[in-house]
Amino acid sequence: MQKKGLKLTDVLTTVVIAIVFGIVYKVWGPLYYAVKPLGLHLDQLIYGMWFIAATVAYLLIRKPGVALLAEVAAASGEFLAGSEWGLEVLFYGFVQGLFAELVFAAFRYKRFDVAVVSLAAVGSTIASLVLDFYKGYIDQLAWWNLTLFIGARFVGAIIIAGVFAYSLVKALEATGVTQLLRPTTKEDYDSLDK
Amino acid sequence: MRWNIEYKETWLHQANPTAKLLLFLPMFVVIVFVHNPNVLINWTIGFTVLFMLFSGYRMKHVLLLFMPFLFIFISTSSSMILFGKGETTWFRWGLVHITEESFYRGVHLGFRTLLFAIFGLMFALTTKPVLLFYSLMQQAKLKPKYAYSFLAAVRLLPIMLEEFQTVHQALKVRRAAKAKGFRGKLELVKRYAIPLLSQSIRRAQRIAVSMEAKGFTNERTRTFYYEVTFGKYDVYLFVVMFVIVVVGYYMADAFPYVAIKDVR
Repeated sequence: MQKKGLKLTDVLTTVVIAIVFGIVYKVWGPLYYAVKPLGLHLDQLIYGMWFIAATVAYLLIRKPGVALLAEVAAASGEFLAGSEWGLEVLFYGFVQGLFAELVFAAFRYKRFDVAVVSLAAVGSTIASLVLDFYKGYIDQLAWWNLTLFIGARFVGAIIIAGVFAYSLVKALEATGVTQLLRPTTKEDYDSLDK
Repeated sequence: MRWNIEYKETWLHQANPTAKLLLFLPMFVVIVFVHNPNVLINWTIGFTVLFMLFSGYRMKHVLLLFMPFLFIFISTSSSMILFGKGETTWFRWGLVHITEESFYRGVHLGFRTLLFAIFGLMFALTTKPVLLFYSLMQQAKLKPKYAYSFLAAVRLLPIMLEEFQTVHQALKVRRAAKAKGFRGKLELVKRYAIPLLSQSIRRAQRIAVSMEAKGFTNERTRTFYYEVTFGKYDVYLFVVMFVIVVVGYYMADAFPYVAIKDVR
């Protein structure tokens, strides 16, 4: 079992996947402000799409550092494609990726199930809320409005960056392409001995 | 990434990409800790003028690019204006409660987002991605494996776009390019994403193998095809930004547009 850092193969694959999501992130912007019906925060339900690069990349490549790299790369892709939010996506990307990475690290990069990625999505949500707290004065919204805002974002994040990301990777596993990516596990070696 | 619209190379294009990042990124932090709307209004005017004069793009293109910013301005300020906390009521209708405080706070948020957007656009429109990553390797000591991965990935985008169109047409012929409901839409995303992602992963693997074979590895002492350095234009940019920031700050105190100095 190799335990070194990311190799060029891992980095390139992560970045390529992330740039695909970066384009999705860019397209998601106009969609986000199109579904913003006067502050009732339905838009927050689709906010979770901006967390998906980290969870998908982690589930695919299963190595430390991949989640952070993917989210930063996706944010850079979005930024270079001329995001409406400009500079701030770089900060949001970094902090969201970092919080997702911390969740994976807390499980020592050993669990790859729907619960862990949902928890990572929750981590990214908290990260985005912390930045919103400073940037958007969200604590100054009326309390019922704020509750709706935060609730919708958590729900959307778990559905999109948690459950949907997981089912996406499950479908990719069926194509067999993931076998190229993952490090060989102990089970693989054991199965050779049988 | 730049669109294929014509532009002139100005000194903003000549400035070092890393220098631009180093000057623009701290502005995010500075702007977040400014609570006086007058300052943000002045800065927005200052940097918009800088962008319009020196981005090198035709005015009609610039105005077209600014269009989405209006939506952003309205969408970020509206929820704070309509549902924010405040004492001096202007208007109340059901859940909607507009106060003087929430109104100015909303407008302040709008200008804040506008400023981030202008910085983002200014960077994206005046920087070549290739030079950005070469500069990050040379000035910011970014490891080559990351920089070259980004460059390779950017080059793959046109192929992905072509593949997307192929998938789209294939689904259309089979009447599978549309779906109803939230669940249906998620299924639809998968229908597109699975072939695109799996092909991209396979391609990335092949490219990585050949890049490793050709020595795009993690050497710190390597030579570069493009030599990027700091120069006088970075100093110009620093001076111009410094002047806008200081003058804008001073003018906000001396000649305020609105009486409110702190929107919190």
